[in-house]
Amino acid sequence: MPAGYDELTPGYEFPPVEYRLTAEVVAAYVEAVGATKHDHVPPLAVAAHAIGVLAELVEFPAGTIHASQEFQFTALVPVDTQVTCRAKVHRKLARGPMRMLTLDMEISDESEVLVQHGRSTVILPES
Amino acid sequence: MSSPFYEGLVLPDLVRQVSQENINKYAEASGDYNPIHINQEFAASTPLGGTIAHGMLVLAYISEMFSNTFGEHWDTTGNLSIRFRSPARPKDTLTVSSKVESVSEDDDIVCITCALSCHNQDDEVVVSGEARVRIPECR
Repeated sequence: MPAGYDELTPGYEFPPVEYRLTAEVVAAYVEAVGATKHDHVPPLAVAAHAIGVLAELVEFPAGTIHASQEFQFTALVPVDTQVTCRAKVHRKLARGPMRMLTLDMEISDESEVLVQHGRSTVILPES
Repeated sequence: MSSPFYEGLVLPDLVRQVSQENINKYAEASGDYNPIHINQEFAASTPLGGTIAHGMLVLAYISEMFSNTFGEHWDTTGNLSIRFRSPARPKDTLTVSSKVESVSEDDDIVCITCALSCHNQDDEVVVSGEARVRIPECR
């Protein structure tokens, strides 16, 4: 059951989510973004899927848009790696009709090696 | 000279055409089906007035530009900090540009900081920000 904006508080930790970056998943991503093929997973593909799975944990209303993003890449991710994304709420801000949510995420591989971490801020439409 | 990178160096631009087809493919590849990206009728009813590309699709172009320049060093040490300034829309032509702002050395590692921007065919800034990467010193 996805969490609604009102239920989230700074420090709230989402349950960890795991996903496997198979050759098919990576090929679909590379084709969609028109990227050069590599022997490993493009770091933004790792992040894109993390945000995709996060979107299933938060009830983002239709029309939510991305405001800012930070990433730090720390290790190569071979194709077919299973990664785990841990995310928590960094900040919530409501000013008049505008609502913002900032999430921190850490992604690690099967050996618990951190492969990247990031911070995403989204703007939610008026409810 | 221990690094081919120096302050003021302009990195090669990367140009990409945005299409609704690319956006739809990205939605399928990433699992992000927010209707603001893929549903024309819904998007037209919002203040944005039409569908827009996923921010992460635009970031993929930016990351590719740095990957083209710095290779695996980007994928293992890259640091990206950006703000989305205006939406990228279908039929936009996006140009990702970057210039080296500073180069510093720390032991055998060269730390490079670049200003970056992505703008559309009307010269509107879509994304602005900064990228940092660490590469081994050339000897």
